[in-house]
Amino acid sequence: MLEPTVPTVHSIAEFRTAYEDGQRLPGLRSGCGFVTATWGLVCPRCGKADLSEVDLSGRGRVVALSIQHVPSDEFLNEVPYAYVIVELEEGGRIAGWVAGVADESVLSIGSRVHWAPSYKPGVQFARDDPSPEGGSAP
Amino acid sequence: MRETWVVGAASNRFGKMAESGREAAATVALRAIESAGLEPRDIGMTFVSNAFGIAERQAHLGPLLNTALGIPEVPSATIESACSSSSAALHEAYVHVAGGFLDAALVVGVEKLSHLDTLTATSYFAIGADYPFEARNGATFPGLYATIASAYRQKYGTRPEELGAVAVKNHANGARNPHAHFQKEITMDMYLRSPVIASPLRLFDCCPFSDGAAAIVVAARERRPSPVGEPLVIRASVRTGSIADMHDRPGLTGLPASRLAAERAFRQAGLSPKEIQFLEVHDCFTIAEIAALEDLGFYPPGTAGRATREGETQRDGRLPVNPSGGLKAKGHPVSATGASQVVEIFEQFNGLAGGRQVPHAEVALAHNVGATGGSCSVHIFGRR
Repeated sequence: MLEPTVPTVHSIAEFRTAYEDGQRLPGLRSGCGFVTATWGLVCPRCGKADLSEVDLSGRGRVVALSIQHVPSDEFLNEVPYAYVIVELEEGGRIAGWVAGVADESVLSIGSRVHWAPSYKPGVQFARDDPSPEGGSAP
Repeated sequence: MRETWVVGAASNRFGKMAESGREAAATVALRAIESAGLEPRDIGMTFVSNAFGIAERQAHLGPLLNTALGIPEVPSATIESACSSSSAALHEAYVHVAGGFLDAALVVGVEKLSHLDTLTATSYFAIGADYPFEARNGATFPGLYATIASAYRQKYGTRPEELGAVAVKNHANGARNPHAHFQKEITMDMYLRSPVIASPLRLFDCCPFSDGAAAIVVAARERRPSPVGEPLVIRASVRTGSIADMHDRPGLTGLPASRLAAERAFRQAGLSPKEIQFLEVHDCFTIAEIAALEDLGFYPPGTAGRATREGETQRDGRLPVNPSGGLKAKGHPVSATGASQVVEIFEQFNGLAGGRQVPHAEVALAHNVGATGGSCSVHIFGRR
């Protein structure tokens, strides 16, 4: 009998429940250094079955975004909002959204964001408050 | 591998169909078979694409289609690859014919979505992306391509007028295409005044939800020594994939599956980009055409927008791109799109393109993307 080559303790449902309930932001890290928040069994970059589950920081900066004015049904009551691709501090990227963004004066490429769950669909981020020292919070 | 041709092709007018997808598919299929000088009983297998058949409460369309064509005993297979479904079906037909398993095959793509409201159609399209990790995070299809546009603008400083030039050009071409959903020209001013759908993309950056059907007949040269029209010799038929989720790919300003497909297709055909005389590329959004021209090797990164604005890709330009009007103006009935690109090239090769005829139609390339590039097809066609 074949032994499983990767631990299969994680599932898409567990990933989703964890971040939508605000418990933690699960991700996967490969031996090659690839970090992803997307469920999988084998690393899509190096092809090795050495993914291990990690908790992602949820802190990073926006590398691409689009402000949505015509949503799908699950986001009907959220427009306008920003769909964002965030590069995490620890490496890797994650997709998510930021509520209440009507234009790019509020949020733009380079903006620092953090994971800010509020029992809504998906991975919700919020913009960091700029600190007087030029750093960011939290 | 046997030399393999496209010997027949047909499309209906894209837009809003009164008839069902099943009826439209059978009608264009019969026209394509007749345009090849064949009869339905000459077809060895049917490859059918109808990704959103569920919108009409219908799956397993192949046997229904073959029954309507009077060939119920002929096998069929449904090929689904989102927006690149029927080019994937063409690849399967090519593999079967070139490999000697079939002498002639039928490829049919059809979609009917116009009876859905915008919210439902947007939601249907969104599930062509990664539902839990993209759509559930608020992504729509315009939103996903808009993130490419935002990253591209950040890197290359693209002006809105460069995206607008794609829309204006493709509407001008669509105005000369009787198959097109939109047969009306637009101006740059109209483009710039159109509402934002998913920033930075405006309404006129986006292809429409269209109904439509297109069919092509693929046959081995040795079985069709005297074709009725000028056949398209399939010089390359390539399918590729890439990491499905856009955010997990190394770059955000183009599609790796397009780059890989072009590289392999040019190698298979023994050709280079400078030998291609015109293109049909996947312009579901204006940024997609700009990225495609760069990914396929026709322009260096960051330059295709300016070249478009300078008119290089117009019908009478140095490199005509989307003379059909593309997805942008001809329309995008998801599963019919890939086959319809080949219909356009077939009509161009046979001098049937009327007011949109390009000056030189000897070697052409078709590029069709599934969703945001998780899958991709590139076909290169030449003359006998």
